[in-house]
Amino acid sequence: MVAVGNDRKAINRLQAMYGFRALVEDRYKRAIEASQSGQPIAWAMINWWAGDAILNTMDVVTVYPENYGVVCAATGSAQTFLARAEAEGYPAHLCGYARNCLGYAASMKAYGGIPPDAPMGGMAAPTLLLGSGGICDARYKWFQAMARYLDAPVWTLEMPHPGVHESLQPGAYEQNISFIVHELREFVAFLERLLGKKMDWDRLDETVTDMLETNRLWHEIMALRRARPCPAHSRDIWTCLGAILTPASDAKAALKLFHSLHDEIKHRVDNGIGAVPNEKYRLVFAELPIWHNLRFFDALAERGWSFVFESWAYHPPKPQDLSKVSDPLERIARHNYQWVTGYYTGAAAAGEWWGYFAYPYLELVRDYRCDGAFLHSVLSCRAGSTHLLHVRDSLMEKLKVPSLLVDGDMVDTKLFNAEDTLRCAETFEETMTHYREMRQKEGREW
Amino acid sequence: MAVAVSKGLARVKEIYQDRPRRVKELKAQGKKVIGYQCVYPTLEMLTAFDLVPYRILGDMQEPITKADACLPTVVCPFIRSCLDLGLKGRYDFLDGVVFSHVCDVGEKTAHIWRIYLSPAYCHFIDVPHTTHKAALEQLKEQLKEFRKTLEELTGKKLNEAKFREAIEAHNRQRALVQALYELRKPDPPLITGTETIQVLMALMSLPVEEGTQLLEEVLAEVKERKPPAKKMARVLLWGSIIDNVALVEMIESLDANIVIDDTCVGTRAYFGHVARTDDPLDGLVDYYLVQIKCPRTFRETNTGALKKDYYTDLENRFGYLKEYAEQWHANGVILQSMKYCDIHGYEVPSMKDYLDHVGLPNVYLEHDYNKSALAPLRTRVQAFLEVIG
Repeated sequence: MVAVGNDRKAINRLQAMYGFRALVEDRYKRAIEASQSGQPIAWAMINWWAGDAILNTMDVVTVYPENYGVVCAATGSAQTFLARAEAEGYPAHLCGYARNCLGYAASMKAYGGIPPDAPMGGMAAPTLLLGSGGICDARYKWFQAMARYLDAPVWTLEMPHPGVHESLQPGAYEQNISFIVHELREFVAFLERLLGKKMDWDRLDETVTDMLETNRLWHEIMALRRARPCPAHSRDIWTCLGAILTPASDAKAALKLFHSLHDEIKHRVDNGIGAVPNEKYRLVFAELPIWHNLRFFDALAERGWSFVFESWAYHPPKPQDLSKVSDPLERIARHNYQWVTGYYTGAAAAGEWWGYFAYPYLELVRDYRCDGAFLHSVLSCRAGSTHLLHVRDSLMEKLKVPSLLVDGDMVDTKLFNAEDTLRCAETFEETMTHYREMRQKEGREW
Repeated sequence: MAVAVSKGLARVKEIYQDRPRRVKELKAQGKKVIGYQCVYPTLEMLTAFDLVPYRILGDMQEPITKADACLPTVVCPFIRSCLDLGLKGRYDFLDGVVFSHVCDVGEKTAHIWRIYLSPAYCHFIDVPHTTHKAALEQLKEQLKEFRKTLEELTGKKLNEAKFREAIEAHNRQRALVQALYELRKPDPPLITGTETIQVLMALMSLPVEEGTQLLEEVLAEVKERKPPAKKMARVLLWGSIIDNVALVEMIESLDANIVIDDTCVGTRAYFGHVARTDDPLDGLVDYYLVQIKCPRTFRETNTGALKKDYYTDLENRFGYLKEYAEQWHANGVILQSMKYCDIHGYEVPSMKDYLDHVGLPNVYLEHDYNKSALAPLRTRVQAFLEVIG
């Protein structure tokens, strides 16, 4: 692996972040303990909270193979699993997370258990797989492919993806909510049959309430990052994602961690403390992080680059008042739908027709006063790359904010060249400075 | 004075070489032409509104030059080609477009098309990924929305009798395509794979009744002509879209016939039947979401089954291929996929497991939708044919 930067930490890391890291480590440990005691285990795709609360309430211990891809990439273990997947016949252009997991599952089958040297103790064998129809094809095709190595039944949760125009037609919103609710009821019925126990609806209600409160708090935390200097760098936020994007833990424990995170960031804002001490450039990052080389961001931080927001889909949607919705499944559905369509009204008003993935960056760059966008074109991810050229063009056309488009991969180290990217970054500083001056001349807000 | 037009396979070839010519004529006569992507938009509804459906396809021989400005090179080259043609004005004759959630890139291209080409009419059908009960209901609601937009476009309400007639018209065309495929069962087959693609692409470029008439001419002509020479191998061709004869021509130039396929300018688009249902939409939902065998739809042996058996699962997903091979006497399977096609890419190892399990020799080819890049595949195909021949 090519690493850029020295061991000096240029980013002022949040102390609260360490609690989140421990939470992720504990998740894998708990799953292994659960497998030893016969407790059910799910491997789940990130599902934007459609299935997480249901699994938690049914006492299913959940691990997320996408997150495990992150773990493998960050610990340098992914290349072995990627090579195994390719040897199994999976084309090299498929999702890096998927190939990591398929390689892991193939190794698991060969060893008759968790492969030796699997990071964080490995993922325990699942009782069920929960796929997702949301965001990309990999997230249901990959779990279907997993039947080659695992006997666990698989359920795919649907997630509507209406177009902006179509979503705003009369009746469309309620129809999509109704669809998700029906899907969730079918999923609950499936789990009840699989596990031989009934859903505790009161407990589900309480879990959903706690999760929505976490959402509100997380949204507030994100708003604090608008401050200059930005109090929390993307590196810390990526660490915290384990508790928000893959919320397979006690909802109350997670909420407590978010309170501590909020307090620390608020303290920084009140005292003018930045995540990057000498914040020269504020950037938004899209999409999947370079998990195998996060030290690269320290090299950029040394140059005054502060990443103030990242990947819109990693962040909870704009909070809604769901207090009058009594059915917890309907609250989940409305929240889940908001994740995809939460920016659609703004998109329609701006005449933008790509309401998720693309349009949100226009709002984020404007709201967080960004000087540039770092667009990571992930060579193994269609969903994370298809919109980037349009994002680049619309940011320039509408906001006069330039983008740095960089090829790479979230898992595969072979596809990212840190030295080349750093050289491009140095040149890009002049571009950001030029457009900052232009915006100022034009009387824009930043 | 009416201009004499060619018939049967001669006309098919003319249309294949200049697909939009006929619909442009119809447009000049006042018809509206609606482009559609992939096989999921409900053609029956377009026909019922007296609109001409015209399938948006790419061009393997046209270098992609404009689409790279708005779509990265790491996505499906076929879709990049379609968009490229759109950006070059090759679809300017369309009065509107219908997209659907066929795959990830297909879905996103709908948004790109709307942004960069500003079509006068544009609609996106969010086809669900599963055959869950809720998903079937959701698609039905989506089709109701689609109908509303067509009512606005045409200024008229959907006439139920015309709707049922349109369903029957498309069913009849599907039945005739199935009859055409019957002519590929003899050894040697009476029609080649190359000709079949040309016929189907012609059908996708004409109003349904006109296409059906052409199909009848083709059937009559093929039945009467002298059979070609027998070849060594009979091949089943599976995979992502093939909208150019180049790959099939290359295979058929090597002492083999493609006798049956599982592709979307092929059986996937024509091997079903819309059932007569009290509400016509129910039959359409079943056809489009359950019957079409594209891997973009997640299929299970039994929805929500608690126990899983790998080979039972494979039999459910791919068993129809064994039937195809048996009925069309195929002695080998060529699996092909375009680079960056995820939904086919994930299928390949399991598909190979299944074919090995049922004793069907197979080979997997990956290509990048470029005619000149097919040459290196020729040697691999040749070696495979020698094994199965």
